[in-house]
Amino acid sequence: MSAPIVEARGVTKAFPMPAGPVVAIRDLDLTIAGGEYLAICGPSGCGKSTLLHMLGCVEAPTSGTLRVDGRDVADMADAERSALRLARIGFVFQRFFLLPMLTAWENVELPQAEAGSPRARRRQRTAELLDYVGLGHRSHHRPPQLSGGEAQRVAIARALANRPRLLLADEPTGELDQATGRQIVGLFDRVHADGTTVVVVTHDAAIASRTPRTLFMRDGSIESDATGAAATEGR
Amino acid sequence: MRAWTFAARSLVRQPGRTALGVMGVAAVGALLFDMLLLSRGLVVSLRELLDSAGFDVRVMSTDMPFAGPNVTGVTPAVAAMRRLPEVEDVVPILFGEAAAFGRDGGPVELTLFGAETGRRSPWTMLEGEGLSPFAGAPPLIVNRNLARALELAPGTAIELRGACRDGAGSLPASRFRVSGIAEFPFDEASALTAATTLVDFRRTCGLEGRDEANLLLVASREGHGPAAAVEAIRALRPDLHAFSNEELVARFQQVGFSYFSQISTVLSTVTLVFGFLLITVLLTVSVNQRYAEIATLRALGFARRRIVLDVLCQSALLVGTGGVLSLPLGLALSTWLDAILRAMPDIPARVSFFVFEPRAVAVHMSLLTLTAVLAALYPMRLVARLPIAATLRSESVT
Amino acid sequence: MNVLPAAVAAQPPGSGGGTSPGEAPPILLSRQLMEKEGLEVGEIVSLSSAPSGSHPGRFRIVGVYEPVADPARLGDPSLAARLHLPDLIDLTRDAADPQSLERVGAVNVKLAGEPDVSAFDRELAARMPGLEVHPTVPLDREADPFVVLERFHLAIAVVTVFASSMFLLALMVMLVDERRQTVAILRMIGLRRGRILVQVLSEGLLIALAGAVFGVFLAAVLEDGFNRFFRWRYDTSLVFVRVTPQIAARSVLLAVPLGLAASLASSWSLLRREALSLARR
Repeated sequence: MSAPIVEARGVTKAFPMPAGPVVAIRDLDLTIAGGEYLAICGPSGCGKSTLLHMLGCVEAPTSGTLRVDGRDVADMADAERSALRLARIGFVFQRFFLLPMLTAWENVELPQAEAGSPRARRRQRTAELLDYVGLGHRSHHRPPQLSGGEAQRVAIARALANRPRLLLADEPTGELDQATGRQIVGLFDRVHADGTTVVVVTHDAAIASRTPRTLFMRDGSIESDATGAAATEGR
Repeated sequence: MRAWTFAARSLVRQPGRTALGVMGVAAVGALLFDMLLLSRGLVVSLRELLDSAGFDVRVMSTDMPFAGPNVTGVTPAVAAMRRLPEVEDVVPILFGEAAAFGRDGGPVELTLFGAETGRRSPWTMLEGEGLSPFAGAPPLIVNRNLARALELAPGTAIELRGACRDGAGSLPASRFRVSGIAEFPFDEASALTAATTLVDFRRTCGLEGRDEANLLLVASREGHGPAAAVEAIRALRPDLHAFSNEELVARFQQVGFSYFSQISTVLSTVTLVFGFLLITVLLTVSVNQRYAEIATLRALGFARRRIVLDVLCQSALLVGTGGVLSLPLGLALSTWLDAILRAMPDIPARVSFFVFEPRAVAVHMSLLTLTAVLAALYPMRLVARLPIAATLRSESVT
Repeated sequence: MNVLPAAVAAQPPGSGGGTSPGEAPPILLSRQLMEKEGLEVGEIVSLSSAPSGSHPGRFRIVGVYEPVADPARLGDPSLAARLHLPDLIDLTRDAADPQSLERVGAVNVKLAGEPDVSAFDRELAARMPGLEVHPTVPLDREADPFVVLERFHLAIAVVTVFASSMFLLALMVMLVDERRQTVAILRMIGLRRGRILVQVLSEGLLIALAGAVFGVFLAAVLEDGFNRFFRWRYDTSLVFVRVTPQIAARSVLLAVPLGLAASLASSWSLLRREALSLARR
């Protein structure tokens, strides 16, 4: 394992509501080393997705310190956080969130173009990624023409477009059947094996069982942080 | 993918709603363009007509153009003005009404001019000669409508009974010979017009001995210009009122034509506000439908500025495409609207309400550009302030 | 009655020339003329029918009147005066023409009973040839400038309705697309197409009615603003914009079917498709 890619100390996230603030994350400490593969589990409303969004610099903590890829999230302006996400972080969503008016190829190419990658390199990388996820033959199909599993694979390819150090997945198999879900999980295994840090929020025990480290959350805090056999036992 | 390309893709992938939006902008833009043409159309057209008539100054007795008493002492006034170095020619004009008699014996009412032409005349000869006596009879020039109505040709004899002044009673008919057929620049489409010499006009209308004219047409000498001619005439005869064509048009704009410039301003404003509201709503609804997409792009690392620029580019493409289409559509529409307005009485056939000026295109494009930017402001604000995580969360749940 | 342009020179009452106010005939001046020349009631003014101001007549201002607004002279300030007819004839007569003492420009006639202008014209022509009869409402309305303007405004309205219909359709298409899943669910739980069509049309009718009524209300509010502005701009009492019950009814009768048609047109593809294809992404 290399240097930490995520360091959180005393992180709290509260959402202001008319009836009073709702604390989604409570005084959380967490370190994720580079190259780790972990799952975040917990009951609905425990703060898993909120934590994932903070790791992805989509949300800033209300208090505490959160460093991603060595940079303090709270110190960064919105444009800097966007740039960090574009270059260093990949997102995979439960509902895929592919752009419906673009083909699979264009969806994967889009973040590379935004990052300023030259056309020739983009074409090569896009072709590689679509082959990587097994969809080279569907590159010119639009999302409505793809099955759920195919759409999620395109989403994973898109997330990997700019070679992120950190891949964040929020319930990636939530909309898929078991068999397809296993295929997706297999893909995450491969991504991790290729050196990317992978963090998966999931209810799916099958995914959690594949990750060497599992965080169990409850009421905005980490209830347990199990690694290796303990992680397996804890499930 | 650049913002323009992305915006174009977004629009092209939804051809139905894009086409409808573009057509709406084109229709609104056409109306706006026509109102810009209308705002100066009558003024430009009248100015062109006045200039084409060959005279660039008009002299009257009062400062109310074509209203008020006649200019008196015309003969010495004309002679003095013709001696001015700034003046090329002066033509005194009297106008009134007369009646000719058709083949069925019924009266045919017409407009009659009397003019003492010099080097220039205020009409364009189409056939025959000008106002020179024909076979010993007083000459009469007629327009095509009158020639057709009474089957006249150069050499035909015709009798006219003048009705040029109030209470003239029954004047005896005057006999003329048609010396030519001419085009009178200020004729309405259906006008029946004739012209004779000043002397014969006075005789026909019972105005012998009255050295008067309704107005004097003046052509400035080359190298001096109408402004110099006006100043010289004002210095020579301060009791008379001289107007250059430009000043005359300005007076008309202030009085008779002001309705059209006002209505064009009001309709242009209403059209712009209407277009602004509609484009804002269109873009806002589009943005509302794309919240998941926008939040995804932000989560992927697209900067806020980039996403906001997408919205602006969409607005620009929508309005720009519609705006380009609105120009030929507007020109076609202006032909229809012009035909409607030219049915008004006393409008010369050669005058148009809608006159194309390149300036109008520039103003039109500027206004549409401003509309595109303003209309995009609210949806841009929505996009800029979109909470990424909350949107992703809510889109995942719904 | 003739109102002639005249040289107007004001003299304060009792100021010179030995003319006593009692000798000067009375005259009414328009408000606009009073304001322009800075005159007041009681002052003596000189009027002349000659541009040079020769042979003026002296008159005493006994009142101010508001001229009836003439839409044909919009923008032209009503600089006018009203005199007794004998005074006007005396002011404008031609010394060389004895008949000028008996001349007027026009005689206004109100016909008794059912007015038949043509019959009156024939009878008058038989008794006094040479007179022209002009009805106050032109028989040939086609060339009436205000009829022409009405046609012009109608043409503008047609274009505006077309443009707004395009936008309306675009919006409805977008909104219907959002309802795709809802319609799919309704169809899959058993609701028939006809039932959904009734719902779509009902919604369209409600929106169109609400929009039309709001539009009429907005027009009524703006009416006051427009009239105030143009009355100020042209110093006139003319009414420029008037939302009558007929116009309101016409607007609603046009807007409602358009709204319904837009609802139907935009929903047509949804209603035609099978439920399962609607439910797919």
